[in-house]
Amino acid sequence: MTVSEEAFEQFRAGVGMLSEMAPPATERTDEERVRIFKNTVIKKIMPHEAMDLETCVHCGMCAEACHYYVATEDPKYTPIRKLELTRRVYQREVSPNRWLRRLLTRDITAQELEAWQELVYDSCTECGRCSLICPMGIHIAEMVALTREGLANASLAVDEQRAMSHEQGQRGTMFGMGSDSLVQAAQVLKQKGIDVPLDQPQAEILVVTSVIEMTLFTDALEGTAKIMNKLGCSWTVSTCGYEAANFGYMAGYSGYHRAAAMRVIEAAIAVGAKTVIIPECGHSYPALRWDGAAAYGKPLPFEVVAISEFIGREIKAGNLKVNKIPAAGKVTYHDPCKLGRVGGVFDEPREALQALGVDLSEVSPNRAQSYCCGGGAGNFLIRRAAPLRAKVWELKRGQFEDAGADRVVTSCASCRINFMAGAADTHWEKPIESLVALVGANLAD
Amino acid sequence: MTDNKTLAERLRERGVSRRGFMKFCAATASMMALPPLMIPRIAAALEQARRPSVIWLSFQECTGCTESLTRSHAPTIEGLIFDHISLDYHHTLQAAAGDAAEHAREAAMQENEGEYLLVVDGSIPLKDDGIYSTIAGITNLSMLEDVAAGAAAIISVGTCAAFGGIPHANPNPTGAVGVSEIITDKPIVNVPGCPPIPTVITGVLAHYLTFGRLPELDSLNRPMVFFGQTIHDRCYRRPFYERGQFADTFDDEGARKGWCLFKLGCKGPTTYNACATAKWNDSVSFPIQAGHGCIGCSEPNFWDKGAFYEPLSAGRWGTPAALGAAVVAGAAIGLGSAALARKRQAEASEEKDI
Amino acid sequence: MSLLDFARGTALQWSLYIFVVGIIWRILGAALVMRRKDMSQARISGAERVKEGAMTILTRSVPPETFEKRIRFSHITGYLWHIGYFVVVLFFIPHILFIKSFLGFEWPGLPNPMILVIGAITLATLVALLVRRMTHPVLKLISTADDYISWLVAALPLITGYMVVARVGLHYETLLGLHVLSFCLLLIWFPFGKLMHVFFIFPSRYNVGAIFARRGVRV
Repeated sequence: MTVSEEAFEQFRAGVGMLSEMAPPATERTDEERVRIFKNTVIKKIMPHEAMDLETCVHCGMCAEACHYYVATEDPKYTPIRKLELTRRVYQREVSPNRWLRRLLTRDITAQELEAWQELVYDSCTECGRCSLICPMGIHIAEMVALTREGLANASLAVDEQRAMSHEQGQRGTMFGMGSDSLVQAAQVLKQKGIDVPLDQPQAEILVVTSVIEMTLFTDALEGTAKIMNKLGCSWTVSTCGYEAANFGYMAGYSGYHRAAAMRVIEAAIAVGAKTVIIPECGHSYPALRWDGAAAYGKPLPFEVVAISEFIGREIKAGNLKVNKIPAAGKVTYHDPCKLGRVGGVFDEPREALQALGVDLSEVSPNRAQSYCCGGGAGNFLIRRAAPLRAKVWELKRGQFEDAGADRVVTSCASCRINFMAGAADTHWEKPIESLVALVGANLAD
Repeated sequence: MTDNKTLAERLRERGVSRRGFMKFCAATASMMALPPLMIPRIAAALEQARRPSVIWLSFQECTGCTESLTRSHAPTIEGLIFDHISLDYHHTLQAAAGDAAEHAREAAMQENEGEYLLVVDGSIPLKDDGIYSTIAGITNLSMLEDVAAGAAAIISVGTCAAFGGIPHANPNPTGAVGVSEIITDKPIVNVPGCPPIPTVITGVLAHYLTFGRLPELDSLNRPMVFFGQTIHDRCYRRPFYERGQFADTFDDEGARKGWCLFKLGCKGPTTYNACATAKWNDSVSFPIQAGHGCIGCSEPNFWDKGAFYEPLSAGRWGTPAALGAAVVAGAAIGLGSAALARKRQAEASEEKDI
Repeated sequence: MSLLDFARGTALQWSLYIFVVGIIWRILGAALVMRRKDMSQARISGAERVKEGAMTILTRSVPPETFEKRIRFSHITGYLWHIGYFVVVLFFIPHILFIKSFLGFEWPGLPNPMILVIGAITLATLVALLVRRMTHPVLKLISTADDYISWLVAALPLITGYMVVARVGLHYETLLGLHVLSFCLLLIWFPFGKLMHVFFIFPSRYNVGAIFARRGVRV
């Protein structure tokens, strides 16, 4: 099952209007912006980041890991350069060498902060590939997130992400849609004979979904529900905490990150869930799996798993049986960065594909070294970054073709959107599919 | 003591053949790196040279320099050259003593004012008005100033006279210095060494007698021809250095095979002298050939440049205690810096996130 | 006091003190800023994470092929000059004796002609890397004063070392004094510039390895 072209184009058009619909950012003077950015960096810098910022030798190797640099050869996309302002604040304010650095470096300016917006939002997806190539072991991606926090606090987050974050953080809705959309989506599935147990008082598993699955990628939500029902789990979806996407987390608003995460955490605690399942939505996974505890202030009292991780595990355990797909052709699996390289989920999706009997043809590079789709970490929302995404798509398309793939399967809505957009614009006909949808559609009786 | 015989006449009196004399001239020319064309000129100049008056002042010294010059088993031409000068005052060598000796000096000074050569060995104490060394009740300092005033040129023989030498070594209780620290208005040639090579001293004299002027000097006023290269440059053990073959002790395999003595503290690379070429005891040997590294005795401050057996490339790293203090200081500043950084971080935390 | 005596005496001592104070200061000052505990549920145990972090210190020296093919030039030249530099520092016999005067023990050295060749390759590589830094678009953009100062400070001992061997212009002991002074300069600049990567590379590699390992990713 794939998504209709019409629905997809509608969705793209909607996203394309985000920047115009965004409420104006809080007015701030240049001095305020600089002060806020500095304070954010200063208070959040941690020892391992401090040592990372001390150790860069400016070898430039990180550029060779970045899909934006590889696709454009434009030196401004060099990952370490994206940390330039963060590094300067660290060096001038926190570093043990601050007395010397103040003599040798200029203070950051509001103009520089504005200029860096493009570098950390439009041309970085926090995919973490640069953190793997750096010969010094600098975790660059993590500090791009810190830089985004500084810019977001200084009211310099990119318009589209600011709009989404504010809406989700303050009103709890997205694209104006709230829990009623979830109820609606559940009703649609109910009509197809698929039960989505909403707001059960108690459940072993809390499944969270996303607005994208309620509107565009309904196949993934349907697949999830079918799989959960097939397994006969005690599961529920809560109208109080159903949204996995966390735009505050992506854009760098830690307050909004906390607000969105707490809705899910509280819902899970309310139903006594032992497990929370994250849908196919890249950043949602780290937002709760790795950084949820920080939002909660203590270790989470439940396990967080990605849906593809869960499926792979159940298939391996023999709890979930699937049919082999007849004449599936060559399938390639794209590792979403947030799930794979910075999430650790590599084997489970492949386990599921093996069970489906497909001819798995890996792209090169894959797994931890896989290239980003080009639109992660909220980049797909940014209209002006479209040409850049198109260049990365050429890179990815080349890899898919080299792998001889007849169809591309992934397990992340952002990756899927970016590939579908690229394919649509370049008339690439191969289907781009959801792993969950594929498994859900091929459950054994 | 003045007579008017030329050197040639004097040599013939002593039974030195013309052939032997020419050999000496050739050796002198070669030692001074002069072209062979110069040999007849040297011979002619020496043959006709008249005895110049020389006053030799010995200050804080050990007589080693004089020993070096005079200690020969058989009469040598170098020795005869020395005989050819009119040594009007020299404690060790002159027959006169007491007042007579001092009168001889004064007479020579008057008779040859502005023309006599002054040779000095030994350093001059300056501390407490130079009271630590006196001759006939006259301090070395005042005698030097007195005699230097009328000298044509001064030859400082030995490291003490040239650079202060051993009396100058830490803690230098007498405030000893070399001649050139005191006399600045006369041409001075330094012939350092502890002691200096005799042929180098006679070479300088031969040059003066031949050309009537002092030889070309380096920045430390040493004759370039003898002090232009280091011992290391001309050392016959140099190939071992390049190959990385070193004696580790004085009685190991390397020492027996005659390998380089750098590891045993040889100062050859930083010592400018002619030992490796002119050698000692009628060109028989020199310290490195005898199995001991050069101690750099002809260099300024050689006594205070660390142990003779410490390799030249060794560093003086300071004491472990000082290093320990540096570690403690580093830790203290580091902790302080981190504490201040944390304070700054705490202040920055007042800025709340959106 | 001659230049050489000053260089290997007073200058060496003080630059060593500055070096020691500086590196400890810089390491502690950076390592002890405020820490937040990661409370997420790790995929592997603490002991395994330590192991993975330690492994990353080694494995990061050998990038996977997909990275290697894009960074081959930097990688080979990087290895070349680092190894060349260490061979010259550690196996030239006068250097061994220099280090022995600090550590108290020695090891076999290499013949001088070999050191000269290796040193020449090292210096040539350094020059090539400098030219590359000034011409490659990425490197040009990200380079700072620190990069050029550190290059000079690292290259000077090699350059002066050759001047000592070739006896260029000045007296041997003057050149040797300058050579030792260039090493003192290296010691002094070390704690304040990027040369500190010599120390920070270990915690940084370890941390990135352990952070990814926590998430079940071996890097």
